Amino acid sequence: MRYRAKELKQNVNVSRTSPIKELFILLGGVLGILIAVYAALGFAVDLVVPKLPSSIEQSLGRLYSGIYDDTDETPAEAQLQKILDRLSAASGDTEIKYKVHIVLNPQANALALPGGNIIVFSRLIEETASENELAFVLAHELGHFANRDHLRGLGRGLVLLTISAALLGADSSATNFIMNSLQNVEMKFSQRQEQAADLWALDLLNKTYGHVGGATDFFEHMSKNDKRGRIRYYFATHPHPENRIRVLRKNILKKAYLEKEKTALDRPLSKLVTTPGRTN
Amino acid sequence: MEQLIIFIALIVLGYTAGTIAERNHYKSIKTREHKLLSLPACTIKNALYNDAQVDKAHLVSGSVVVSVDYFKRFLAGLRNLLGGELVSYETLLDRARREAVLRMKEAAKGADIIISLRIETSSIGQSANRRQSLGSIEAIAYGTAVTYKKVNEIPGKRT
Repeated sequence: MRYRAKELKQNVNVSRTSPIKELFILLGGVLGILIAVYAALGFAVDLVVPKLPSSIEQSLGRLYSGIYDDTDETPAEAQLQKILDRLSAASGDTEIKYKVHIVLNPQANALALPGGNIIVFSRLIEETASENELAFVLAHELGHFANRDHLRGLGRGLVLLTISAALLGADSSATNFIMNSLQNVEMKFSQRQEQAADLWALDLLNKTYGHVGGATDFFEHMSKNDKRGRIRYYFATHPHPENRIRVLRKNILKKAYLEKEKTALDRPLSKLVTTPGRTN
Repeated sequence: MEQLIIFIALIVLGYTAGTIAERNHYKSIKTREHKLLSLPACTIKNALYNDAQVDKAHLVSGSVVVSVDYFKRFLAGLRNLLGGELVSYETLLDRARREAVLRMKEAAKGADIIISLRIETSSIGQSANRRQSLGSIEAIAYGTAVTYKKVNEIPGKRT
């Protein structure tokens, strides 16, 4: 028998499927599962967070405060800390020791991090004129703590990071992963959470100072400096500053809070911020 | 956002470049396979039929390294999550095997048949030793190229 070669008429080793179709089926499946997992874990976070004991929160906070603990308190921080201590004493929450840190940053913003750490960006301090205005910002962050929003943000952020790490392959070691999560998790709260914190801050401001003068000052600065339209704010995490002012005004009227003269700052804080060089 | 744009650009680039390269490669494979049809390659061990006699026999081999494009790699990555047939790598392996056999045949020019054909594949490159990933593969085909004695060279045979 002599062996004779035959031409390949059809290739059984290659499937006749469209790769584009396969891409959409696979993407749809994976995204569906991801959304389901993210939603389920998000609900789990909402369930767990109100019941989380403060000891666990403190140990979580140690992860963050490690970045800030070894730096000495600047004069500006000492002054802010005084205001914060007064606020937290008035709120009746003595379980957690709140600590304020100033970070050089061109954005006028403040963050609430786990473990009672409040980060205030230097630009915000440069823009504020009165103690009451600063107190409202700090009280707003205390409001996030009271509502445990900072843990919710962390929980969802961590869930998202875990999913992406699982997807993109765990190239990085565990420590690397934790470091990345510390840097990348942005404390973004929903508009509803921001509003709740605003109203909480208004009540605390009244309790601390006996009046609510300066409560809307920060937002008035913000709306003056912010040229973004209202439509863009619909998608933003924070409500439009003018809306926040309106809601605050409505509540000041409803609760019949007084607006007395604002307390001036002991020393202009903006000059103190940059003294001992601290960069983030 | 930037990362997403880069990613989508890579996917589109991978798809277009990969599709063009694959179509051209298959075209070349088909014409060369047709041309080399007179030189069969088979897995049988014994080349002798009837009263044929072996004149020359030597080892021939052909190898090729082919890489999969970004799009197919992404598709395979998704497939790794969900399981099932890894269809996107089928053409890669098919092309590599056929190209290797073709190169082996081209190395065996003048022979009558290639026997004891073997094909092996291995994953090479950066991702070679990583689990669940296949970047580029090498296919090597080797066999014994046999040349028969011409009928008039066989003693006692005169036609």
